[in-house]
Amino acid sequence: MRRLARAVSALLRVEIATMLQYRGEIVLWSTWGLVNPLVLYAIFKAGAMSNDNHQMAGLTVPQIAAYYFTMMIVGHVTAAWDTHEMSWYIRTGRMSAMLLRPILPMWKSMAGNLAYKICTLAFVGPMWILVAFLIRPEFNATPKQFMLGLLAVVLAGLMNYFLTYVVALVAFWTTKLDAVGEIYFGLAMFVGGRLAPLDALPGPIRVVADVLPFKYMAAFPVEMLMGRITVEAEAFRGLMVQAAWLVASLILFRCLWAVALKRYTAVSG
Amino acid sequence: MLRRPLKLMGLFLKVSVLNVAAYRFDMLVRVFVSLMHLVADLGSVWIIFHNTKSVAGWTAAHMMVLVGVFRIVAGGIRILIVPNMRRVLEDIMEGTLDFVLLRPVNAQFLVSIREVVVWRIVDIVLGAAVSAYGCYQLNGHVPIQSVFLFVLMLSAGFTIVYCFWLMLATLCFWFVRIQNIEMVFWNVFEAGRFPIQVYPNWLQWTLTYLIPLAFITTFPAMAGSGDPTKISPQIVLTAIFMAVLMFVLSSWFWRIGLKRYSGASA
Repeated sequence: MRRLARAVSALLRVEIATMLQYRGEIVLWSTWGLVNPLVLYAIFKAGAMSNDNHQMAGLTVPQIAAYYFTMMIVGHVTAAWDTHEMSWYIRTGRMSAMLLRPILPMWKSMAGNLAYKICTLAFVGPMWILVAFLIRPEFNATPKQFMLGLLAVVLAGLMNYFLTYVVALVAFWTTKLDAVGEIYFGLAMFVGGRLAPLDALPGPIRVVADVLPFKYMAAFPVEMLMGRITVEAEAFRGLMVQAAWLVASLILFRCLWAVALKRYTAVSG
Repeated sequence: MLRRPLKLMGLFLKVSVLNVAAYRFDMLVRVFVSLMHLVADLGSVWIIFHNTKSVAGWTAAHMMVLVGVFRIVAGGIRILIVPNMRRVLEDIMEGTLDFVLLRPVNAQFLVSIREVVVWRIVDIVLGAAVSAYGCYQLNGHVPIQSVFLFVLMLSAGFTIVYCFWLMLATLCFWFVRIQNIEMVFWNVFEAGRFPIQVYPNWLQWTLTYLIPLAFITTFPAMAGSGDPTKISPQIVLTAIFMAVLMFVLSSWFWRIGLKRYSGASA
């Protein structure tokens, strides 16, 4: 365990150093995470203004602001992108080198993920404050709701990371992962609540959203932080579902990883 | 006088078609992804108008025209602009731009047509179909004069996008490592997914005059709505003026940048 901790902290230092080399690049990447929710906020606000009650799916304009503002932060904190990298690692044969290390390649990717979030904070942090001043979100979460919301964000981040990684393992079977990754991101947008609050979804999409795990990685933690989930039992049930999905994805990773390794033949090896 | 440039374009197009033909499955996957993007765009319109009748004066059918425009422009950018600009950046960084400059053709013209991602035409066809459907829903038919106006405004918009990219690429002569500058473009372009009227006034002004995003998606969509009151002659004239101005400016900037280029052996 101590050796693992040492290895991971070393990996993290390396990844941070690498990230800092590409400061401009990571700033540009994280900008998309700022622009997208703001654009959606603008369109939803305009939609609300043309309704008689000045609401959209039961949300007032300051609440819409709070939704997309929180989504902006939650989306950044829980981001994972292994579906975009895995097939490249395999196609270029870089996976071989990573497999030779006495530690799962996943630790390296996890260190990279953390490093990105640590390094971008210096840029996105001030931007979040600026956005908050511009769009004036309205929060009514009690301290307890907020604390539980933070827990939900952590669980959402882990869940998204492991599920993304499991999906990325498909790359061991086909090196064309683009389509799979796009479907995952598309689902996260639509039925995860990134595009619109779940209450705004038309009936059939809502049904799909309630079945799939995506809402627990975006809409659920956001609504917790906003204080929209007032029934405590509902909050705890949501946290339990998150934990269950997390365990399930870990088990799935374990099983798939073993099979995937047997399949692996270095492409350029 | 026009024969040689056209012949060159035909040649590059032919090479691209041959390239695509070699990776057919890859192309199928990409076409599938592109279709999904369109479905996603239409889905977001559906969700928005499930909750409201109009957004800043735009109805659902009207918004369909815009979805189509967004696809057409995004497709056009990926057919010609992105691949060529990526290659220019690479050439400037590696010093292989020499091979372009040595040819007896205008350098700006040559660097702008070398790569053609043919299969992306799918985006243009699908986008045009969606726009036409939106226009049909608005008017019951597709009026010929709005098709004309639509194509005119799109061409102006596309010219503006091209010039914007050329200027971004030209920056590479000064700052060599700027491969990711295209993220700047996509971040701004994202705001053009929806009509600029949804933004606060100061931002609308910025997106019209400082960064002419409105001319790229919103105004062509207004022209394609088939409603002549939606688009004033003033906007059309400004669009044409903007396109010409940007073209002159970016060519001038490109030539200045070129003077700084020191070649492979430097």
